[in-house]
Amino acid sequence: MSRVVGIDLGTTNSLVAHVINGRPTVIRDESGDGLLPSIVSVDAAGTVFVGREAERRLLSDPSRTVYSVKRFMGRGAEDVGAEAAFFPFAVSGEQGGVVGIGLGARVFAPPEISAFILKELKRRAEAFFAQSGDIDPDVDRAVITVPAYFNDAQRTATRDAGRLAGLEVLRINNEPTAASLAYGLDRRREGTIAVYDLGGGTFDISILRVEEGVFQVLATNGDTHLGGDDIDQLLVSMVLEEAGGALGGNAEAVQVIRRAVIEAKWDLSERESTEIRVGDIESVPGFAWRRPITRAEFESIVRPVIERTIGPCRQALDDAGLTPQMVDEVVLVGGSTRVPLVRRTVAELFGRAPQADLNPDEVVALGAALQADILVTGNRNMLLLDVTPLSLGIETVGGVTSKIIFRNSPVPAGGSEMFTTFVDNQTAVDIHVLQGERELVADNRSLARFKLGGIPPMPAGLPRIQVRFQIDADGILSVGARELRTGIEQVIEVKPSYGLTDGEVERMLLESFEHAEEDMEARFLIDARNEADRVLRATEKVLRDPDLPAASEELGPGELPAIEAAVADLKRVIRGADRAAIEAGMARLNDVTRHLAEIMMNRSIKAALAGRQIDTVQPEGR
Amino acid sequence: MSAPSSPDTRAVSIQACKHCGTGAPVDAHFCPQCEKILTVSRHGDYFTFFGLARKLRIDPAELERRFRGLSRQFHPDYFYNAAPAERLASLERASYLNDAYRTLRQPLDRVEYLLRIEGLLPKDRREQVLGTPPSLLEEVFAFNEELDAIRQARAAGAPADELRERLDDARRPIEARRDEHERRLDQLMTEWDRGVDAGVPPAGRRATLEALRALLLERTYINNLLATVAREQAV
Repeated sequence: MSRVVGIDLGTTNSLVAHVINGRPTVIRDESGDGLLPSIVSVDAAGTVFVGREAERRLLSDPSRTVYSVKRFMGRGAEDVGAEAAFFPFAVSGEQGGVVGIGLGARVFAPPEISAFILKELKRRAEAFFAQSGDIDPDVDRAVITVPAYFNDAQRTATRDAGRLAGLEVLRINNEPTAASLAYGLDRRREGTIAVYDLGGGTFDISILRVEEGVFQVLATNGDTHLGGDDIDQLLVSMVLEEAGGALGGNAEAVQVIRRAVIEAKWDLSERESTEIRVGDIESVPGFAWRRPITRAEFESIVRPVIERTIGPCRQALDDAGLTPQMVDEVVLVGGSTRVPLVRRTVAELFGRAPQADLNPDEVVALGAALQADILVTGNRNMLLLDVTPLSLGIETVGGVTSKIIFRNSPVPAGGSEMFTTFVDNQTAVDIHVLQGERELVADNRSLARFKLGGIPPMPAGLPRIQVRFQIDADGILSVGARELRTGIEQVIEVKPSYGLTDGEVERMLLESFEHAEEDMEARFLIDARNEADRVLRATEKVLRDPDLPAASEELGPGELPAIEAAVADLKRVIRGADRAAIEAGMARLNDVTRHLAEIMMNRSIKAALAGRQIDTVQPEGR
Repeated sequence: MSAPSSPDTRAVSIQACKHCGTGAPVDAHFCPQCEKILTVSRHGDYFTFFGLARKLRIDPAELERRFRGLSRQFHPDYFYNAAPAERLASLERASYLNDAYRTLRQPLDRVEYLLRIEGLLPKDRREQVLGTPPSLLEEVFAFNEELDAIRQARAAGAPADELRERLDDARRPIEARRDEHERRLDQLMTEWDRGVDAGVPPAGRRATLEALRALLLERTYINNLLATVAREQAV
């Protein structure tokens, strides 16, 4: 029997997990890495790179490398105009149509890019299953997660991506709800929980009631354009301003800066201060720039982004008919919840310290794996009951939206609407379907336009056509219609406003078969680069450590310069195609850093012991 | 169950299993013969679906408990490997359950739904009954006159304090009406449930339903008036 998996298709990183003996587990690559950077690069020869390798190509070939593609899923050119300028790749598309992402000569639809990421995860899982001795290691079915606040077009685009990757999408699951499953697995605890999910690109808040193994979502809210990316953009803008305008138009420089501010952001989740270090820009030789930054300074810059999560939280509580005090537990999901200011904001809002005992990067994938297991095994210990995040309606006279299914309705949900004709013998009616909470059509999201055809010729106003809207458990809409006087089923042709037609998906599927998989040597090279990358990052983190000057006094003369030289050497060869050189460079760097690593380790143990003594003197906790 | 069961407490209509053709009671979810999930019957209603009497007071905890129990029986998650017809039936049944749950959870939606299935309101919730309820005509007339006067006064530059006071004065009788409605609604709901419990034949309970209907229509109207005042106050 082939295998099923759960996939968290994230803005910044993606993961794949499976259930073994009732326990969900993240599947890691050969070197133990669970996270796959959601980055895709296509070189001039048409070879596709995904993950760490693509992440490196973001520096060496930025115009052919795409990241944060999730932000473009199910969206139109007019939605992404302002943002597109920030990305190094070409963003195209006609007004009112699907966004196109140009990488060299080829233009991809966002689901095609996401499909590359899904295929890589599929490959990773299959390699893992083959290694564990499975007779049939094929992975052909998956649960894929999306932000709870994704609309119909964004969900459909995700399902299309799965199809393009050769996966049967068992279910599109909401990320916070999936996370709650993983959290609920070990606890027999019941009550009301709030899941606060701040990822790379999206924000969700879901309020659930857990009782007798049923995870029932009461309300959900969010912002599909709010996350760590926004924090990074603020910091990049600051650096560009401070480091001089010359770097602004340089795509490579912007990516180097982006990398540098992300590293600093990570540091500041652990320490009170660090340094933003920008250097090694190939197109600007000799450029080097440094700037110390404290956590307080960082927080004053990013506070506006984090405060944007408060409104959706209040709305969700209100929709659930609850006050913050009625929430029994608050759970943190998404890498951005590591930022201490996020934790403080959440604690203040709900009046209690949030839970983060599961890895916020992994918890969604674990939940998706559990959901996949429920679907294929019929395991009835747990059940997720989710809601639709946005109201569904149709356009009526005067450009006003008439709601048919209200937001936070449990799904699956149905609703129907009666239509008639305005002129004699009219045989078709146009219907415009929308999603959103606003009154006017123009303020809501256009989902699709239908032509309701095949109406029997009758005097105006006489036909009674019942159009039935059905939102399934994936949160995806389908439509059926019937003329009630004759009982004739109507023909409906769906033209999604921001989606691909079935024909387009078929064509893309055929095209993808033509692009062959990379050969084994290319694979080994990529693995070596990935490993080298990890070693470099670990070393550079130490080099930014405020404790370094003190620690290096214990080093012998010439040791620090040797480390710096080894770092530079490895950086030089990592982009080349010589695998042996990369491996040698890595070995040398490991050698020269061993002494420093020991010193740092000893110092941190001493510091930790000293800290404990202080703790015992002072009264504990708040 | 006691012998002469009324149509409100025990529906006797029959639906047929599409799989094996066996008849089943209208409130059954699975075929008594082949145990397959049944297609949603056109004859049932939200109350029978939940196995509840057609009464207006429902214990919220009991409704939640039944909702979870029924979800566990036919959520599409548990029919993933079933035949297409069963998968469809599960989707429709779960969807109907969710609609029923949402409607019965809110007391006013529950009243409105009861009036629909008892034939006192149009089946389609979008076909609204328009016009001012006769019992409100006098008050609405006075209210609209005062509102016009306030708008004129504002245009003439009357002080904000004075306008606010006049709006408050205009709102007060309407609010009093609303409070009176809430009390009356409560009484009628109790009256209806008592009739169901006592097995009073439908004709004997018609008057209660008609009073509920009048009350519901007035209520919508009163809420619209209060919304108008709120808008004026926001100017």
